[in-house]
Amino acid sequence: MKSRLLRLALLAGLVLGTVSGAAAAAGSKLVVAFLPKSKGNAYFISCKAGAEKAAKELGVELLFDGPTDSNAAKQNEIVENWITLGVDVIAVAAENREGISTALRKAQKQGIKVLTYDADAMPDARSFFVNQATPEGIGHALMDEAARLLNGEGEFAMIVATLTAANQREWQKHIEARLKDKYPKMKLVAVRPCDDLKDKAQSEATAIMSANPNLKLIMSICSPGVPGAAEAVKQAGKTGKVRVIGLGLPNENRRYVKDGVTDSVILWKTEDLGYLTIQAGVALAKDQLKKGATSFKAGSLGTFEIKGDNILLGKPFVFNKANIDQFNF
Amino acid sequence: MKRHFRELSVAGALLAVLAAMAVFAPAFYQPQPLLSLATREAPTLIVACGMAFVIIARQIDISVGSQFSVCGVCAGLLAARGWPLAAVLPASVAIGALLGALNGFLVAGLGLPSIVVTLATMVTLRQGLNLVRQGEFVNLPDGVQWFGLSQTTGQWLLVGFALLVLVVLALALRHLAAGRFVYAIGSDAEAARLAGIRPQRGTFFIFVFMGALVGLAAMLNLVQSPQVQPLTGNGLELKVIAAVVVGGVAISGGRGNLWGAFAGLLLLACVAPALIHLRIEAYWEKAIQGAIILLAVVADGWRSRKAKG
Amino acid sequence: MAEIPKPKSSSASVWKDRLLSHEMILLYVLIALWVFFYFAGTTVNRRGVVVGFGTLDRQFDILRHSCEIGLLALALTPVIITGGIDLSVGSLLGLSAILFGSFWHDAGLPIPVAIALTLGVGAVAGGLNGALITQLKLPPLIVTLGTYSLFRGLAEAITRGSVTYTDFPAGFLFLGQERLLGLPAQAWLFFAVAAAIWLLVHRTTFGRSFRAIGFAPEGARYAGLPVDRRVASAYVIAGVIAALAAIIYTARLGQAKADAGTGYELFAITAVVLGGTSIFGGTGSIYGTLIGVAAIAVLKNGLACLPAVMRMNAAEEISGLLTGALLLLALTAGVLPRHWAQWRARHPARAG
Repeated sequence: MKSRLLRLALLAGLVLGTVSGAAAAAGSKLVVAFLPKSKGNAYFISCKAGAEKAAKELGVELLFDGPTDSNAAKQNEIVENWITLGVDVIAVAAENREGISTALRKAQKQGIKVLTYDADAMPDARSFFVNQATPEGIGHALMDEAARLLNGEGEFAMIVATLTAANQREWQKHIEARLKDKYPKMKLVAVRPCDDLKDKAQSEATAIMSANPNLKLIMSICSPGVPGAAEAVKQAGKTGKVRVIGLGLPNENRRYVKDGVTDSVILWKTEDLGYLTIQAGVALAKDQLKKGATSFKAGSLGTFEIKGDNILLGKPFVFNKANIDQFNF
Repeated sequence: MKRHFRELSVAGALLAVLAAMAVFAPAFYQPQPLLSLATREAPTLIVACGMAFVIIARQIDISVGSQFSVCGVCAGLLAARGWPLAAVLPASVAIGALLGALNGFLVAGLGLPSIVVTLATMVTLRQGLNLVRQGEFVNLPDGVQWFGLSQTTGQWLLVGFALLVLVVLALALRHLAAGRFVYAIGSDAEAARLAGIRPQRGTFFIFVFMGALVGLAAMLNLVQSPQVQPLTGNGLELKVIAAVVVGGVAISGGRGNLWGAFAGLLLLACVAPALIHLRIEAYWEKAIQGAIILLAVVADGWRSRKAKG
Repeated sequence: MAEIPKPKSSSASVWKDRLLSHEMILLYVLIALWVFFYFAGTTVNRRGVVVGFGTLDRQFDILRHSCEIGLLALALTPVIITGGIDLSVGSLLGLSAILFGSFWHDAGLPIPVAIALTLGVGAVAGGLNGALITQLKLPPLIVTLGTYSLFRGLAEAITRGSVTYTDFPAGFLFLGQERLLGLPAQAWLFFAVAAAIWLLVHRTTFGRSFRAIGFAPEGARYAGLPVDRRVASAYVIAGVIAALAAIIYTARLGQAKADAGTGYELFAITAVVLGGTSIFGGTGSIYGTLIGVAAIAVLKNGLACLPAVMRMNAAEEISGLLTGALLLLALTAGVLPRHWAQWRARHPARAG
């Protein structure tokens, strides 16, 4: 019985082998590997769409793989796999700055071109950072938007992904710094994690509102938290009394923005971020983009400014009732 | 009194927390937010009821979170295709039952340990869903939320329905022959067999029932918002297992009831809102939950040690 | 639930039994997987360099990445053999990692002292599990579910989620990132622990008592074994090994953070059970666990090297899916002969 099973397993293996062998014909194309922080996240799916567009235009092969949850250790493992696969370019959104840099330096030593996007690694571990907005820029944009809606006065609360996620901590730090510097009459009353779960964000927001009757605004810095908080505000009948803003995608928030529950969703054009990253990566591999350049022409998107070793995507974009229908991602 | 000491002590702890809230954070008692929070826990309650059955029968099911996500996403996709809710509901229950039947077959039919089987199905279902959906939200058509009723009606309906399920199942477990079978299977499968019960068949149906309840719970969750996130059930298994165990259901089978599980669920569900109201930072939440679980089982251990002398 | 040993009729049938034991079958599957990925997952890239699964670098990477989960699986094997379980090892890895970082960075202790203290913390944490389980006669599943939350929660509370310890000295990072005598440095530690646990479980009376306890705890007690002390020691050992895994993890990534090791307990349990250790206790082997760890690592890393899987952009999901399926298959294959025999006994005529 057991040996029969074994034979079955072997047979299955052979079949798989033939299938994959037939697919392994590539080799002449440049290979660009694209690593998100977390694969299932709509944000990175949207980045990937832009990356695919660029890869198609440039005729390169695109690999997209990442942890299914945000996991720093797994990111390293995937990068190390790509090193032994001998890819030409690795583009990374770093879950953890120091952790990933170990693997990226190793890649550079093997002659692989490395660049980062979305969240930077250590400067010596990559050639360029495609900068969609610095953590400082994001923090300031969110805090300024909150202050604008509240006229610089009142209580607000924050929803974050987890208490340990590196980028969340960074953004939170800048939000709090901006709050301290510029808006003395505003007060942050609660910071709650939602584990990247929309439903949990809804429960948390409900409890936050009942504990803080004077709450004027909820800010979510993780994308599932924005619709979660909006649903809670809507159900509490506090539409307009408690504002909702956050980092998120138009499609997940369209309904609430149109209903006036969510005031604004802040994000850069994620597709452009993916597109620009792949364009820059390929240019790097072909030696068309070198250290010290001050501008870079990225295919159909036009020219972008380079500041030091940061390729700047431009300011974050604010989606609101007026413009949200122009975007579909 | 003595017989229900365990359940009563959890209820006591819950009352103590609620009393403390009344003193230190009276704002906790506002009807509308409380109703909303209760509605959020309604699906969890239904899954916890099923889990109590499974654990009383001396099994465990850690795939419920993945089942919950699969049922939620499938039901959402059907609703988005224009199926009426009257058809989506049985479909979701049927999908859950089917997933439960797979666990049941492997556990009862092949005699495999439930903890490992459901670990495997948990991973398989979750990764399968990741593969297919890539995390993308399912947007539901208008009229799905609150079954198309007003919000308050919908919330009362969901809470009322979940409580009804609790009461019916608790009474059934206590008084119906089928309910007593569950205890019999859990406390001594061999004796149950000699008494004319077929423990294997019983175990199989308990897993099917668990799956069906998960499908039902996924529907109760679906109608609460206009979108379904594929991650929705992540971590649900630990939440309900903890609730059931804190509520005095013995992991070694054969002991406990749904009222205790209900009290355990409420106690654990109170932790997060209580921390928010008392303005304690979120960093302590997991440690506090762990401490509650340990305290509950340690109390168990002490009592049984004292009872033995 | 352990199978009753069959009477040994001849040396030939003994050999047949051995060659068809669960561990050996798994070993064949492992070899088959490895050979398959060697051929299907190795290619020559644009620059004419051989790349992919078949390269020595890749094999060493796989070894390097497997050390932490491998250690946790080794830690869990004696525990599961005694009929227990420990869900808290992944959380303990996280707690140990940040405590180690804190000992070194905040308390200013030298690295060796910090390591010794961390291992001590692991022993205490394991001792807590062991004490609750043996002294209060509590079910291990629930005790360690509680400490699973507690340890992770403490790690988050201590660091307030945000503190990340980095900038460890190069001499320490060597342990996680460089090679020693040709192999990844941490692999030597892993092999040493594997050998020690193997000796303990298979070659000492102390370790053999684990099996006796898992097989029949009451019987072991009547036979005069100090059951409680032995069981507690299994959890203490698990705690120490989890702390050791935390140190290797920190050295590999160059950082210690409260989320270290999240979800590792599930991988470790999967490896142990895949390796033929019964979750009910009483049977199991260290070499089975090692083969289980290797099978999961080869499957995961091999898939990531297959061109077809790479094009689907789904290596993570597919490897999770197949690991779950492999586990179910292994479990089912383990019981099918018994069911087949029962069926044949009940239906002698139809079975012919």
